[in-house]
Amino acid sequence: MSTNNVVVLDNGGGQIKAGLGGERDPSAVVPNCLYRPPSSKKWLHPNPLNPTTHADEVDLTSVAVRRPLDRGYLINPDLQREIWSHLFSTVLHINPAQSSLLLTEPLFTLPSIQRSIDELIFEDFNFKSLYVADSPSLVHLYEASQRPDGLVSKAQCSLVVDCGFSFTHAAPVFQNFTLNYAVKRIDLGGKALTNYLKELVSFRSVNVMEETFIIDDVKEKLCFVSLDVARDLQMARKTGKENLLRCTYVLPDGVTHNKGFVKYPDQAHRYLSFADGAPSAPLETKEDMNHLNITEMAEDRKRVDLTKTEFDVTNERFLVPEMIFHPADLGMNQAGLAECIVRAVNSCHPHLHPVLYESIILTGGSTLFPQFAERLERELRPLVPDDYHVKTTTQEDPILGVWRGGSLLASSPDFEAMCVTKSEYEELGSARCRKRFFH
Amino acid sequence: MDEESSNPLRRMSSRTRKVAPKMVAALASSDNRTQAALTRLEALENDNTGYDIVDANDDDEASLDDEDQVYVQKKQSKGTKRKTRQAKALEARKAPRTFLELLNEANLESLPPHVPSYLKAAVGPPSSTCRRHFCTICGFSANYTCVRCATFPDKKEKKGEKGRNSQRKRWA
Repeated sequence: MSTNNVVVLDNGGGQIKAGLGGERDPSAVVPNCLYRPPSSKKWLHPNPLNPTTHADEVDLTSVAVRRPLDRGYLINPDLQREIWSHLFSTVLHINPAQSSLLLTEPLFTLPSIQRSIDELIFEDFNFKSLYVADSPSLVHLYEASQRPDGLVSKAQCSLVVDCGFSFTHAAPVFQNFTLNYAVKRIDLGGKALTNYLKELVSFRSVNVMEETFIIDDVKEKLCFVSLDVARDLQMARKTGKENLLRCTYVLPDGVTHNKGFVKYPDQAHRYLSFADGAPSAPLETKEDMNHLNITEMAEDRKRVDLTKTEFDVTNERFLVPEMIFHPADLGMNQAGLAECIVRAVNSCHPHLHPVLYESIILTGGSTLFPQFAERLERELRPLVPDDYHVKTTTQEDPILGVWRGGSLLASSPDFEAMCVTKSEYEELGSARCRKRFFH
Repeated sequence: MDEESSNPLRRMSSRTRKVAPKMVAALASSDNRTQAALTRLEALENDNTGYDIVDANDDDEASLDDEDQVYVQKKQSKGTKRKTRQAKALEARKAPRTFLELLNEANLESLPPHVPSYLKAAVGPPSSTCRRHFCTICGFSANYTCVRCATFPDKKEKKGEKGRNSQRKRWA
């Protein structure tokens, strides 16, 4: 009885991951926003993202977006209430008054924001009880449970690198507690990257400043992390079909297709062929075999289809994710991800350093860029003392990692005891109850 | 005169007085280029919220829908009950504030130095300050700064640069 009515809510700046504690996957992943198409005057709730049904996709061209979170923190409780109540009643079908809630909250949430969250949960939704968790410890919990013999669970210690929608955190976790004095943050996440790509494409080819969702899609499908920026820039400079990086993206026209797509999906992965120096041999033989075919296709590809609006991306594909590793290139006065990790580790006790470097867990949607982990290891190696190992683990599903940790925690037997109940809240108020969560 | 100044609500404008955080930073520096760079960074966190953030539910005036009767009624009720300045000021106070405003309010600087906070968690400046410059137009590495617009044109694009930049100004 106690386990199956815990609602686990990973309230991210980009997406809400929500479901019931004890399950493996959340029942719903919904963008945490309201949107309004140009033709409508009402703000609508986005459909839950579901990888299996892309057919009933709504037209997201030029929609206006309102988000309750700004820079990762809740700034608009009214909007969040609207989104949550829609989520609870029509997507999850739960009754808050009879459920407990496990909610994730970003690190260093301001007291004023914490207060408004508590108000929202206990006064507007009347949840029975609440537990507020921070995401690094949940990720650690999940990874430790996945590999009971691994270093993470044996040492009870890991470094969680959460590169999400609003920002990037490097957070050391020790015995299921995030060491908050050592956490380091870069103010760059998926949202800034999408906006940056939007800017680049708008300046160079088509104006897409209004098309957040489309450019999100471009970013997810075409961007990758370069292992050698100088070489890839040279590659991107080539003209014609020698340029293995150029990719064409077709914008939705609203008539035949409501979703944009990559024109030649095989083009998108060609950069992998020169991941290490020269193009690999097996690929070349394959190319020989299809030589005729390919030249024909290349002829075909040269022609620009005037019925469709499309644009090319070349160096943008890797220069956009590059910003996480070098925010200085954007003019930001912040260190890159590798240095961020080193600083986070150095703020911990020296005894923890070797273990932390060896158990780096990558999570968050922005770590999904291809070659992200590889690049990070390459940059980290020269910064870490020689006698320490550097090992990064990528989560099975970086977007759901936090939620799964939460689900695990919610199904543990002593979860109820860790919660703050509604009556406690009413008696003691927000600030006193918060002390229980040790944040 | 004295009475007026003693009653702050009376003369308050209904506009939310936001000094944008970027402006605060920009005002602190006298350099135009720094200002431009800060504005640009700020823009990276924007959503395209449309044009009416606060009045999102109030745009009935523009509707040409089939609910014409309701529309007329609404219009009347609005006409008869005009909002006072005070009410408007209260409404503006309820409007969502940006995170940076909340951050300023929280006054984290006043915390003792050993308490970890949002401000202290920032990673801080990079150890090497060398910044790679990419051409604004083509994205390839750029070797020098344009005197006029502080962007970094690639050699190839130098010709086009003037034209494009003037174009950009027109868009802005």
